[in-house]
Amino acid sequence: MSTLATPRPEVAPPGPWAFPLPHESVTDNGIRLLSYAVPGQYVISLRLVVPLSITDEPRDREGVASMTARLLDEGTATHSSEEFAELMERTGMVLGASVTDGALSVDVDVPQRFLPAALDLLRQVVSEPAFPPAEVHRILRSRLAEIEQERASAPHRAAREVTASLWAPTERASRPTAGTTESVSAITRDDVVDFHRTHVGPRGATLVVAGDLDGIDVAGVVSSGLGRWTNPDHLPATPPRAPSPAGGETRVVLVDRPGSVQSELSVAAPGPDRSVASGWAPYPVLSFIIGGSPSARVDAVLREDKGYTYGIRAAFRPRARGGSFVTAGSVRADATVDALRLLVGILDTARDGFSDEEIRSGVDYVVQTAPGRYATADAVADEASALAIEGLPLDFQTTTLAAMRDLDADRLVTAYGAVATGAWVIVVVGDAATLRQGIEGLGLGPVTVVPN
Amino acid sequence: MPLDYPVHERTLTNGLRVVVSPDPSVPNVTVNIWVGVGSRHEASGRTGFAHLFEHLMFQGSRNVRSGEHFEALMAEGGRLNATTWFDRTNYFETVPKGALELALWLEADRHGHLLDAVNQANLDNQRDVVKEEKRQRYDNQPYGNALIDVYAAVFPDGHPYHHSTIGSMEDLDAASVDDVHAFFRAHYAPDNTVLTLCGDVTPDDGFALVERYFGSIEQNAQTRRPPVEPLGPLTEPVRVERREDVPNDRLHIAFRLPVDETEEFSAASLALDALGGLASSRLVRRLVRREQTALGVHATSWGFVDGVSLGFLVLDVAGESDTDAVEAALLEELERFAVEGPTEAEMDAAMAQAERGWLSMLASQEERADALSHYALLHGDPGLVNTHLDRLRAVTPEQVRAAAARWLRPESRAVVAYRADVETEEVA
Repeated sequence: MSTLATPRPEVAPPGPWAFPLPHESVTDNGIRLLSYAVPGQYVISLRLVVPLSITDEPRDREGVASMTARLLDEGTATHSSEEFAELMERTGMVLGASVTDGALSVDVDVPQRFLPAALDLLRQVVSEPAFPPAEVHRILRSRLAEIEQERASAPHRAAREVTASLWAPTERASRPTAGTTESVSAITRDDVVDFHRTHVGPRGATLVVAGDLDGIDVAGVVSSGLGRWTNPDHLPATPPRAPSPAGGETRVVLVDRPGSVQSELSVAAPGPDRSVASGWAPYPVLSFIIGGSPSARVDAVLREDKGYTYGIRAAFRPRARGGSFVTAGSVRADATVDALRLLVGILDTARDGFSDEEIRSGVDYVVQTAPGRYATADAVADEASALAIEGLPLDFQTTTLAAMRDLDADRLVTAYGAVATGAWVIVVVGDAATLRQGIEGLGLGPVTVVPN
Repeated sequence: MPLDYPVHERTLTNGLRVVVSPDPSVPNVTVNIWVGVGSRHEASGRTGFAHLFEHLMFQGSRNVRSGEHFEALMAEGGRLNATTWFDRTNYFETVPKGALELALWLEADRHGHLLDAVNQANLDNQRDVVKEEKRQRYDNQPYGNALIDVYAAVFPDGHPYHHSTIGSMEDLDAASVDDVHAFFRAHYAPDNTVLTLCGDVTPDDGFALVERYFGSIEQNAQTRRPPVEPLGPLTEPVRVERREDVPNDRLHIAFRLPVDETEEFSAASLALDALGGLASSRLVRRLVRREQTALGVHATSWGFVDGVSLGFLVLDVAGESDTDAVEAALLEELERFAVEGPTEAEMDAAMAQAERGWLSMLASQEERADALSHYALLHGDPGLVNTHLDRLRAVTPEQVRAAAARWLRPESRAVVAYRADVETEEVA
């Protein structure tokens, strides 16, 4: 066999990079328009953001905001649900509407030549949805079936238990955004019509347009598409605020799934959002060092050394306000107790510090992947709409990436310690009969068993 | 009108095919390598081996220690991974252009000299990791093994597509270090590999750099088996019934389809879209919107190269509905479609959605590199990415009808039915 002819090459440092800045304007009906020219991107991404708070839902109708979003394109003043689906598909567009803690978002991707037609369909969706009774019935029933699908999936089941345990029970954030079986079953067509009338309008809205805009009069096509949208009944949304944590010391919730061949582990704590006063810069780097790759601290032990898991990821997850730090993944059933012991140990020990090598790798990874992560129209549009929802400046990515260059071990330890106080919400989805005693033996805190 | 992504191609003297597609819009380069080996090449008793082998490609090679491939590239801002599929194995990274040479050096080390580093401990560890991947993605998921049932029902025992890429626990257990050596020697060779560079690199620089790092890998030309004999549609229905703890009944209605990148495959895949792949498809209109007996319908067509492809419809049955009646309604629609063909609206919608899907895919440098490798390795010409939509647009409604009449007949279906195991409480 031949030997390698060539020695290991050196890496040349990358040049400077900045997140693109948009052309900014305001439509006559008050929509803030952000146009991002991304040359060579022939599918245009539209992101319409309407400020909205799910804390404004009636307590016994939770999920009505999400159900309203899902029903927007199921029939309008002039088209049945079937006709509208066909119109959108023949226009080459795809539309998705969803609700987060700070906004209703309507996302459209469409080939450039169909942009004017897509904007007109987008106007119909937000301004004149008809909510036909048969479609309301169908979408509500789909949500009920979806709740059962989520219950059957270990990661979803774990996520539901994490939010229920992380936040105070009075908080909307402790319950599913799209509603529970009980609350969705109570929703009527009138609830949806009323919620749309009072909560969806152009007031405070932002429209992001990203893609190859060469030769397109963006302000003109947006104005002829969405310019006629008005809603005099639109109420201002309650501004988002961080939910109050449930508080308390470390505790374990064991969701019982008899015979499970794996256990789904989640270890969580309340965390920051991206407007955190001390700066967001440390958090993506911490995610990478602790649980962002096969060689990160968690998988170096649990995957590459022990072979307990296909992979466990740790990430800071910002909301519009407030957030969480969640480490989650699944492990072989008979390794559950040892995996949990090691995992909590790794997360606790990280408070002691990070090596210069880890920090350099983490910063270089996050900073130098940015040009590629934001290379496509949809990725630019997604980030721009997130900035709008969170009320962050348009150069947020650029300044945050610059601040990462100044991170040192002290900054990371301080940022991590503010979140990882040693009080964890731990959720295990697995076979309670075989796991309970072992998990109690770890002495992490009280163990509560709940049915799946 | 064809797209105009630039495509430059050259073959090194050792047989490695190199494709360069310059795109200076972002200061990155994607390195995308396709090796002509997938689960279709696995020997009996060694299912899942191509995928297990792919994991070992990250566990070190002659000059690279275990885990270093991931670590070194991520620390320079690289994003990377690998995937195994029926027809091929794929290794890829997107790096800042200043790290392109490091990426090529690391890739050349493992593609040329993996066996220097393979050992029992690495094999045992990654075998455990792959088993957890199987448990996570298949065994511990509701309906998780349904597609494995589909492959086994649609393709005969011993056929290259009869088994899944993840394989069986028994076969994973049986894999040995000797198997790793034999597999590498049989399949990992320059003439069985395509390397694509897509991004901020010129063709001249790209070819020179690949020559520099891969040129010294020895040629290992072997006669590789041609595609197996083509398969026609199933001649009678096949049925697999499962009763499991799932939230609702789900039907997988699967068909053999013609070989990938043929007119007839395009026509059959448009037929499946018109039937169930769109929000305006006729099965969605009838079963989801009007009769509301199904919660959702989805259609998938996977083009393969070994004599046959796979298409399937997935129907989630609404709670109180009769699953057999839903299936009967679906069969009615198949019969009708084979006679009437698609409507103008269905053809329009399927074409417009295919156009957006294709353009969105190529919008990403990573996926464009992947498509170039795909067409170079499996269909002989990376330039086909620029004409794919034109070939699709040339398909006529009559061809769509005819493809459905031949391949999507009720009697040619394989059904994998997962039925909810409703527990009835015993009352004393």
